[in-house]
Amino acid sequence: MKRAVLSLLLVFWAAPLLAQDYAGKTVTIVVGYKTGGGYDKVARVLARHLPKYLTGKPNVIVQNMPGANSLIAADYIYNIAKPDGLTLGTFNRNLPIAQLTHVAGVKFDMRKFQWVGSAASESTVLAIRDDLPYRTFEDLKKVPADKPLIIGATGPGANTYDFPLLLKELLGIHLKIVSGYPSSGDIMLAVERKEADGRAGSFTSLTPFIDRKLVRPLVRSRASEPGIEKLPVDESFAPNARAKAIMALRSAPEVIGRPYVMPPGTPAAAVEAMRQAFARVIDDKDLKAEARKQKLDLNYVSGDEALKVINELLDQPKDVVDEFSKYIKFGE
Amino acid sequence: MIEALFQGLLQVLAWKPLLFMLIGIVLGFWVGLLPGLGGATTLALMLPFIYGMQPIEAFAFLLGMHSVVATTGDITSILFGVPGEATTAAIILDGHAMAKKGEAGRALGAALSSSLVGAMIGAFALAAAVPIVRPLVLSFGSPELFMLAIVGLAFIAALSAEGGRGMLRGFTAGGLGLLLSMVGQDPQAGVARYTFNTLYLWQGLDLVPVLVGLFAIPELVDLAVRGTSIAGELPVGKLTKGALEGVKDTFRHFWLTIRCSLIGTFIGIMPGLGGSVAQWLAYGHAAQSARTAEERKGFGNGDVRGVIGPGAACNSKEGGSLVPTVAFGVPGSTAMAILLGGFFLLGLVPGPDMLTTHLTVTFSMVWTIVLANVITVTACFLFLDRLARLTSVPAHRLIPVILVLVFIGSYTTNNQYADILVTLIFGAVGWLMVSAGWPRAPFVLGLVLGKIAENYLYISVARYEVAWLTRPVVVVLFALAVVVIVYPILRARRLARREANA
Repeated sequence: MKRAVLSLLLVFWAAPLLAQDYAGKTVTIVVGYKTGGGYDKVARVLARHLPKYLTGKPNVIVQNMPGANSLIAADYIYNIAKPDGLTLGTFNRNLPIAQLTHVAGVKFDMRKFQWVGSAASESTVLAIRDDLPYRTFEDLKKVPADKPLIIGATGPGANTYDFPLLLKELLGIHLKIVSGYPSSGDIMLAVERKEADGRAGSFTSLTPFIDRKLVRPLVRSRASEPGIEKLPVDESFAPNARAKAIMALRSAPEVIGRPYVMPPGTPAAAVEAMRQAFARVIDDKDLKAEARKQKLDLNYVSGDEALKVINELLDQPKDVVDEFSKYIKFGE
Repeated sequence: MIEALFQGLLQVLAWKPLLFMLIGIVLGFWVGLLPGLGGATTLALMLPFIYGMQPIEAFAFLLGMHSVVATTGDITSILFGVPGEATTAAIILDGHAMAKKGEAGRALGAALSSSLVGAMIGAFALAAAVPIVRPLVLSFGSPELFMLAIVGLAFIAALSAEGGRGMLRGFTAGGLGLLLSMVGQDPQAGVARYTFNTLYLWQGLDLVPVLVGLFAIPELVDLAVRGTSIAGELPVGKLTKGALEGVKDTFRHFWLTIRCSLIGTFIGIMPGLGGSVAQWLAYGHAAQSARTAEERKGFGNGDVRGVIGPGAACNSKEGGSLVPTVAFGVPGSTAMAILLGGFFLLGLVPGPDMLTTHLTVTFSMVWTIVLANVITVTACFLFLDRLARLTSVPAHRLIPVILVLVFIGSYTTNNQYADILVTLIFGAVGWLMVSAGWPRAPFVLGLVLGKIAENYLYISVARYEVAWLTRPVVVVLFALAVVVIVYPILRARRLARREANA
């Protein structure tokens, strides 16, 4: 009897330990987008280097599950994927905003995912054509109302649209947002042929065009990156606390620009193993070299930090959320 | 420049790039044959393999693979009526009709030779566009792109049957296509349109399951009902004979081949129009070339010109879509967007530099497209007999295989079961359209161009109010659209008069 109890105890003790041994197993990273995009690229780089930091060197594969701006993937990871420690998921960084604004189709609670961390922060900047007379953000305030700057955008929910929208609505900069361009590349062409005066977007995607002096960045969102530390932050010009809160809310998810989670209920030991591997892999020398070549600027944000951002974001007074929903729609 | 042109060729012909190109070709060959597994996805998956390579080797590998996909996609489309790629659907209309008449060999011969000519012209355009590419692309703003979409929609007139009834059906089908292109979240206000609260429809209908359903399912039903092989009871010997005839057809209609190649190249060069538009415009243009009412009726029932047109355009657009990718770093299609990632991996910055400092690399791409197509087309001709013979396999053996291809093809686009449902629904739609004599091409044209037309119209009005209507290129394109619509009506009238006189 004693022996039976002991062996039972041993099984319970050993189970979580066994969960951390990945020998012969396959870890799947579910990506909420098609092959070839930014989220997919990051996932594939991680998949190549993650095995060496997990005991037993498992296979790590990427599974694309596109649709509904990755809501489908997030719903899948939350409700259907087995919490056996073999599933990782990555999705649109703005999904917490979808939850906050009660978008139909959200079948998850961001706070209850097992947060592994984020692989990058993405800062949004507004860049305008270099030949325009406006050189600083102060100049931007002088843009006349009858001749607003034309800002090309893809659509609501994308940073190409939401970031300039708040500059216009809350800071009173005279901008005219023209949306419907198929991709940010098409907006750059529009800028080049002077159909548009500028565009907002992630700093990484704008770098090549800033480097060849087509556009210059004038203002950025809260998350910073090397090269734009000195740019003024949109929130710092907010006329009141309400406006500041709304701008902060829009940019909050950017700190966790490439979020990685595991299904709720994943055993603590498996989450811990993955967190440690995740923290170490992003500092991996080979991974860094590879990411640099792909123009991916990766930096590690811990799971606890990510969860803190999520909690703050979802813990807003109702009036702020209502006001926020007036401007920002989840999309893209 | 001439020196760089030859240097490009020599560098591609070195043993390593050539070897990588051959590997790419073998890969692309299969990707093209299998429906659903698209060229763009494969490019993304192959990207990591280029880490250790030199730029010319890497592009020989990637472009070699990519330029073959469109060619072998034609084969699946012609033989089975299943679009091998989203970009090779238009060729089904006449190509598969020919296969059913026992002319699979001739259809394949025509498709392959026109593909080769198309690829050459596209590659040549890439080389020739080098000095003028910037002003050319920059002269096409949103208003011009909108009018291009309108010209595209005007081709519905050419794709419909003659007479008032035919036109009415054609434009109704086109309107239905336009309506379905509106499904999904709109990019101006972010409203979800016709999504019925499903997540699946949020980003609109995916083209691949729609096309596979619309074209493959009716053919399968037809095949099952007939119970014979695709080519009916025709003797085997006859099937394979026509390949040379098909090649001759391409040269018999050489100007059509050239014109359709130019259409493809032009659509390729214009970023923001997407890869699947070119084939339909080329098909519409080919249908326009019918001189008599009798000939016009032959389109859709196996006119070889309906094979040559899309065959040429589909391959020429690849060279074209490299132009904005190389010169501006703005990709002309999804596949090119992924190729752009390849540029960064290799430490190359697309933009003006590619036309000066790295000109050799740019020209090596031109040569890769040419060589890869020559190799593939030659290889295909070796297997052509066997391929064409597939159309004499009895239905009960063929149908299960094609069904598997159809469902895997539609499922792999998004890994969602809803894709299969969409395939089945549009299969029913396609079957109804075929049996009621409604043309499917205008429907697809509406679906493909709807979103483009809507977005660029919105941008044009928001940006320029009404002033865009007087831009010279807009006026010219508008006149062109009117001509495209009125021409078939005038021709029908002239024919009627001539017949009355006779």
